[in-house]
Amino acid sequence: MQNLEKLSKAFTESLGIEPQQVSDTLTYNSIPQWDSTAHMILIAEIENAFNLMLDTDDIIDMSSFAQAKAILAKYEIDFN
Amino acid sequence: MPNKLLTQLQGYQVRLDAVTQDDLEMIRQWRNDPSVAQFMLSQESISTEQQQAWFKKISRDFSQQHFVIFYKNEAIGVANIKAYYQGETLDNARVIEPGLYIADNRYRNNILAFAPTLVLNDYCFEVLGVQALLAVVKADNLAALNYNTKLGYQIEKQAELVEIRLNQADYQHHTHGLKALLNRPARS
Repeated sequence: MQNLEKLSKAFTESLGIEPQQVSDTLTYNSIPQWDSTAHMILIAEIENAFNLMLDTDDIIDMSSFAQAKAILAKYEIDFN
Repeated sequence: MPNKLLTQLQGYQVRLDAVTQDDLEMIRQWRNDPSVAQFMLSQESISTEQQQAWFKKISRDFSQQHFVIFYKNEAIGVANIKAYYQGETLDNARVIEPGLYIADNRYRNNILAFAPTLVLNDYCFEVLGVQALLAVVKADNLAALNYNTKLGYQIEKQAELVEIRLNQADYQHHTHGLKALLNRPARS
């Protein structure tokens, strides 16, 4: 599975949303499904999918789908 | 000042420092900003004189404490606690009413907005030994109601102003995961 697909799946599964709802403009609290509880589940999903451990700064910064890609890129995960 | 009261609180990546004279103008500007004022019980614009008078009053009033919230050494908002029952001071209060706003727009819709509340609630329950926290939220402030529900608050009175209450057991039960997440090591 490609990295972009893996990340999208982490979002759809942890937030309980449809794949078409996942875009760069999707932000924390912009939809009812992405609240603090879902954010915790999302972090766990991403860590599991990419086999990494995010630090607190990353968890705080990860406030959109676009930001998630930027943060994961620092862990050498390629989205191109 | 009573022994139990602390002037600096820290945890979950944020620091809360007791408000000083130097903070007053920054706080006044934040409080008068429509994006903050809209959720306050009073929308009245605060003058410099009113702000000074407020500070003078709170400086010798041990029934309340006001803090500036810092994240990465930048001031991002204000938090306060007040003894709910008249005649009680914070060190012997049975119930405390907390309040908070994040002035920095970058962190309003962010998981970080929970951090100062966790610090403040820990302080109330673990240091001040309060029985419960009580908050009053405007019924149309759904964001604040959702936010407080996540912390374990239960609705006590549903009206134009919603009264919500939190005890220590519910607080611990609801915030275990959030605390673990915000307590991870910061980037070195």
